[in-house]
Amino acid sequence: MNLLQEMISWVPSLLRGARITISLTLVSVAAGIFLGLFLALGKISKNRVLSKISSGYIFFFRGTPLLMQLYFIYYSFPQIHPALTINSRFMAAFIAFTLNSGAYSAEIIRSAIQSIDKGQREASKVLGMSYAQTMRLVIIPQSIRRLIPPLGNEYIMVLKDVSLVSIIALTDITKVTKSLSSTTASPWPYVPAMVIYLIITGIFTYVFNKLETKFSVYD
Amino acid sequence: MSMIKTEGLCKSFGDLAVLKNCSLSIESGEVVVIIGPSGAGKSTYLRALNHLETINEGKIWIEDNLLDDRINSVNLVKLSHQEETAILLEMGMVFQRFNLFPHKTVLENVMLAPINVRKYPLEKAEQIAKELIDKVGLSDKLHEYPSRLSGGQQQRVAIARALAMQPKIMLFDEPTSALDPELVGEVLGVMKELAAEGMTMICVTHEMGFAREVADRVVFMYNGEITEVSSPEEMFSNPKHEKTQQFLKSIING
Repeated sequence: MNLLQEMISWVPSLLRGARITISLTLVSVAAGIFLGLFLALGKISKNRVLSKISSGYIFFFRGTPLLMQLYFIYYSFPQIHPALTINSRFMAAFIAFTLNSGAYSAEIIRSAIQSIDKGQREASKVLGMSYAQTMRLVIIPQSIRRLIPPLGNEYIMVLKDVSLVSIIALTDITKVTKSLSSTTASPWPYVPAMVIYLIITGIFTYVFNKLETKFSVYD
Repeated sequence: MSMIKTEGLCKSFGDLAVLKNCSLSIESGEVVVIIGPSGAGKSTYLRALNHLETINEGKIWIEDNLLDDRINSVNLVKLSHQEETAILLEMGMVFQRFNLFPHKTVLENVMLAPINVRKYPLEKAEQIAKELIDKVGLSDKLHEYPSRLSGGQQQRVAIARALAMQPKIMLFDEPTSALDPELVGEVLGVMKELAAEGMTMICVTHEMGFAREVADRVVFMYNGEITEVSSPEEMFSNPKHEKTQQFLKSIING
């Protein structure tokens, strides 16, 4: 069997791994953005307590290694209390990646919100809008377009970080590749695996470029 | 009844006093133009009225409702949030830089606050918006985004947007200063029309022609103080104060 045929024969296993990688990335970043929106609004809030809690959260999750957060949630939580046991590895990874991505998304969202011209808030205020209305109707919709490029970047970062889940024995692309390489004693499973990563990254990039164009209609 | 009355307004940014004891009373239907060199406190005075700036000392009445009575920045008037908003909504404002919502079309810009703040039904808000957009001469631009409009057109939309909240007073903060010279006329035209309809207006501007033609009274501010208040004829032909004379001379020669 020549090398190309052999590589193709690995593809189905790699694609099963890709399903884990892609689904974990998509749901974690989506949930992370949702969490990040609240953290960002908390951080810029005039409420001191809320602002401190949000800042502290962001500081913690950006300042400690993702790998350690993942270990801690999956292995140490059950030791702290059995009720904290997370049986599903996917769920444990989802929680870790969401909590982590939330911190990064929060900073992206905060800087996008703060980049909106002050005149927009003043115009909203003199028209009688409340803070919540100003955010919901004026500031956040304008922030979205500025969010898209850095959030696209966040998706790609998380896509690659998801390879860390091999340490809790989740069979993502990287884990599958490593197993294939050891069972076949071949260095070559890495090649189709990396091609699959590049294809996924390429699709993400394409989709985010499209979204950016779509949200730029008013320019 | 005075529409707006201020008594002893003071405001500082740190050590810099930008408003010093500013007292002025404006009657219903009156058009008052505020002139003066930059940094005189003209915009700050206007922005203090609708709480874009918080004054440190002084009193503000809107339609005889006491809105502020401040000592050391603390307001002794305790209004509920609704009461305060209701009073502030009597004042519409037009900004130097338009501040239209760029992600909304012309029609949406004008309808947004009537729907969300006044809680008008959609049809009513749309009808009011269309009438006002027509009034400022932009009926053919209803579904355009602001970025597709000239500065003069954007400012006219901004005027329509402010009018849609049906204010009794309009505050104009240098409405033509950011415009190319050939676009100034169309905005002043809309403002003249408003004045002719009896709208109470306070306008900070460098357009002396507009002041001469439309104003009932002209206020000259200098260094945070209201230095001189008089009719346009008096102000431009026979200014009393030395600083007013200097300022008017510098404008004519400049």
